[in-house]
Amino acid sequence: MAFSSQTPTIVVLKEGTDASQGKGQILNNINACLAIQDTLKPTLGPFGSDILIVSSNGKTTISNDGATILKLLDIVHPAAKMLVDISRAQDAEVGDGTTSVTILAGELLKEAKTFIEDGISSHFITRGLRKANELAVAKIKELAVEVKKDDPAEFRQLLERCATTAMSSKLISKNSEFFTQMVVNAVLSLDQNDLDENLIGIKKVPGGAMEDSIFVDGVAFEKTFSYAGFEQQPKRFTDPKIVSLNVELELKAERDNAEVRVEQVQDYQDVVDAEWKIIFNKLEAIAATGANIVLSKLPIGDLATQFFADRNIFCAGRVASEDMDRVLKAVGGRILSTCSGITSDDLGTCANFEEVQIGSQRYNFFKGCPEAKTCTLVLRGGAEQVIAEVERSLHDAIMIVKRAVSHNSVVAGGGAIEMELSKYLRDYARTVAGKQQLIINGYAKALEVIPRQLCENAGLDGIELLNKLRSAHAKGEIWYGIDFQRENVGNNMASFIWEPALVKINALESATEAANLLLSVDETIKNEDSQEGGRGRGAY
Amino acid sequence: MAAQQQGMAMPDMSNAIVAQDEMGRPFIIVRDQGKKQRKHGLEATKSHILAARSVASIVKTSLGPRGLDKILISQDGEITITNDGATILSQMDLDNEIAKLLVQLSRSQDDEIGDGTTGVVVIAGALLDQALELIEKGIHPIKIANGFDEACKIAIQQLDKVADEIKISADASDPNLLRAAKTSLGSKIVSKSHDQFAQMAVDAVLSVADFERKDVDFELIKMEKKVGGSLEDSSLIKGVLLEKDFSHSQMPKHIEDCKIAILTCPLEPPKPKTKHKLEISTAEEFKALQEYEQKKFQEMIDCIKNSGANVVACQWGFDDEANHLLLANGLNAIRWIGGSELELLAIATNGRIVPRFEDLTPEKLGTAQSIRELEFGTTRDRMLVVEGCSNTKSVTCFIRGSNDMIVDEGVRALHDSICVVRNLVRDNRVVYGGGAAELTCSLAVSEAADRQKGIDQYAFRAFASALDTIIMTLAENSGLDPIDTLSGLKAKQATEKSSQLGVDCLGKGTNDMKELFVIDPLIGKKQQLLLATQLTRMILKINDVIISGKDEY
Repeated sequence: MAFSSQTPTIVVLKEGTDASQGKGQILNNINACLAIQDTLKPTLGPFGSDILIVSSNGKTTISNDGATILKLLDIVHPAAKMLVDISRAQDAEVGDGTTSVTILAGELLKEAKTFIEDGISSHFITRGLRKANELAVAKIKELAVEVKKDDPAEFRQLLERCATTAMSSKLISKNSEFFTQMVVNAVLSLDQNDLDENLIGIKKVPGGAMEDSIFVDGVAFEKTFSYAGFEQQPKRFTDPKIVSLNVELELKAERDNAEVRVEQVQDYQDVVDAEWKIIFNKLEAIAATGANIVLSKLPIGDLATQFFADRNIFCAGRVASEDMDRVLKAVGGRILSTCSGITSDDLGTCANFEEVQIGSQRYNFFKGCPEAKTCTLVLRGGAEQVIAEVERSLHDAIMIVKRAVSHNSVVAGGGAIEMELSKYLRDYARTVAGKQQLIINGYAKALEVIPRQLCENAGLDGIELLNKLRSAHAKGEIWYGIDFQRENVGNNMASFIWEPALVKINALESATEAANLLLSVDETIKNEDSQEGGRGRGAY
Repeated sequence: MAAQQQGMAMPDMSNAIVAQDEMGRPFIIVRDQGKKQRKHGLEATKSHILAARSVASIVKTSLGPRGLDKILISQDGEITITNDGATILSQMDLDNEIAKLLVQLSRSQDDEIGDGTTGVVVIAGALLDQALELIEKGIHPIKIANGFDEACKIAIQQLDKVADEIKISADASDPNLLRAAKTSLGSKIVSKSHDQFAQMAVDAVLSVADFERKDVDFELIKMEKKVGGSLEDSSLIKGVLLEKDFSHSQMPKHIEDCKIAILTCPLEPPKPKTKHKLEISTAEEFKALQEYEQKKFQEMIDCIKNSGANVVACQWGFDDEANHLLLANGLNAIRWIGGSELELLAIATNGRIVPRFEDLTPEKLGTAQSIRELEFGTTRDRMLVVEGCSNTKSVTCFIRGSNDMIVDEGVRALHDSICVVRNLVRDNRVVYGGGAAELTCSLAVSEAADRQKGIDQYAFRAFASALDTIIMTLAENSGLDPIDTLSGLKAKQATEKSSQLGVDCLGKGTNDMKELFVIDPLIGKKQQLLLATQLTRMILKINDVIISGKDEY
């Protein structure tokens, strides 16, 4: 036969499909991740800088938060996307440490790269990393210092210290004393069994300095759209009764598609009167409950506004749903979808209500709420980007405090725990025979990236300080880390640079998992973009 | 695959995030990488500082009483002439991100304090300028920012220390308030009639101020403007100004002892909101409808008459027939009043807004001493002035001027001075203007600098010289020798231990700002320093800029 001598080419995949494989592919993926790691590196630590990102729609973000930056980078490389995912997972799980998890994963891959180039099977590396991770996590659990919850003063101190550490790398680090109090108060005001951080409302008002931010033990929301007559309503109450509605209080057609056929001219007036009666019945029912403040998720029209103004009742329509939820949490009561049969149980109350001017906006404050399981932070700052970054920083700190409330064991930050783990793994590696020794040593070396990068960002001599740290840890000083105040090494446990142990455990685990996953991929099959060359997507 | 497409159109890879595969070909990690611009490290910081500096240098010449104005022409050819920092910056269509931050900075000063918008940008620019020098010395940007923060704290302590309390009374002729208002008007176009404008500002604030809560509700002060006449024709109306005329040309132009019915329903037969249909098949039915309508009109007029009102203010329009009936019944009417104006009218006249004719009662009527129609020169524009209202807590500032630009600038100037007066009502502590406050801060900071260890010492000195820039700019804008003035004043402040010495911008012959009564509210000055320092920190902290290319479809 003519073609028995040569193997015919068998086309399995559609033409244009990208299929790369083998060792080259793994290295390729690692390189991509390292490029991402490089971008994030300068943002780590108290001397980490910010990144300014302008998205294609012209929105500017200035941030130091790893997860935020990665999200905005718009990464398309499939392997590099993994890093985005782990930082996002860390954000969702613990809310802080998003930069360090990415850097750690990158560093693990960097170590693995040399092994792969040396021809060690990727499965072998994976196993070694997993083993090292297990050991490291067990070690953190062993080292972590438990803080007693019984003593509220001491417990509060723990929370404050954790919050301060979380803020140290952010824009607000210089005002951390002020914001620490704010964050700890906010978390402690929540229901301690549930800790739903969504109940901490964060409102942003441009203008003012950052210290002008306000903590409200209740709810605050921006003045809603109002109709004529609103200004004649009282703007201040003590112990008001609050009724929360999901009813539209407006003179309008009851049914959208209804049509009335008027037979006679005389009937005309009756129809009009009937419509008025419907709305007046609603309004009178509300007024009869003795409520002082009427809130509704739906619009409150001009007629109702004037009606309430006549009766010294304050009203706000079109209250945003999440604001309304928090109002209910704070003042009690229930959302009503009808105006009839309102009982006093359905009404909420608070110590005082006031409409206050903040910057150029007016805010409704509900303060001193009896069942306050919610609170609001009103953030101020010189520019929108400043406030947005303050919000992100506070979010991180809130999450850390929240974690610390449920898991009250801490480790020292500033690279201290990483160095101790590194030392521990190195010691352990010596007891292992065979290639695993190399891998565990590699893990130990990767951990040192955190203190090294911290030094680099602060402009300190990384090599010297790292060696000092190594020798300190060898002498048994387990909490020695970088001390930025003295630009030297020091006991970070004693200088209160604390982080919840959970954050570290989670970071190590996610970083290892991500590294393992990337190492075990050796083939990418990518279908061709369905629109060839269209939409300016660029090449992958 | 990646590299093939790369080969076809090689984007600029010099500053993108690049990794190379085993063959040494670059591949793409980030979407639209080629189009993204990226700046990194010190280069980024430096270019930011340069951008900020150029913005600051634009507004620099507008600082102080002898500051000059800028002409801004918007895209659709509208012209604005102003020397208000916030206005200049917001009208400039800036493209640079850092420059935009400065715009927001001046806006937040404007929102919060309402004055000192130029100063805050100049300080921020000067701080960044100083930071650049330090960065070139090799100091870490964040350490500089930390040092600035510490220095700012000291400056603020110093401000607190030198602040004077001035007495404020609710009396409209209070000299302190008047003079403070005058200071803020000093640099504006209205300065030739600034006595009058200052008086307007003080009167306006005092009539709406709530001294107990130390709060001033700006919504009660309305600004109306009208081209024509001169700035001196501007006046404060203790009442409401409506840009409307009476609905019928034969209605009297001036009414005394008004009782006003404020309506939100049209003077038309009521209509149901539900969709409706009336079928008319015979002539009788048509007649019945017409009679019904006429009856309704009569009922409405009766309702108004019975309540005792002699003026009808309505949010909606009237039928011609209604208009005629109103005239016939001797009722003056105003139609198509906007929602917020109606509300203002209701507050001013103590009336209630009435949604239905049936609800009209004598107690719901608003009262005012007079309503008169203003006519302007030969134009056919008319305005209604409601004066002598029962509630004086609502005023309107009526600004006149020979052209649009002057009127607009007048409004802005008046707004600034109203803000100053408001700030004094809120907090009556003041520091002295003319650069005196900055100078004393500068002295305090440089004195503290010597006590600092390490890098902070440099940052402190830089902070002090940034503050000096304000004084130098003031001197320069006033035509004085900046270095001479600064050094002279500095020596004088140090030897006389007086924090009241500032630049004698107007050539009054003395440097004692207390004597000249050039004051600034303490909160305004503090805010300036805080905002500028915080913004500087933010800019210094950025060392990586990634800008997506614009989408090209």
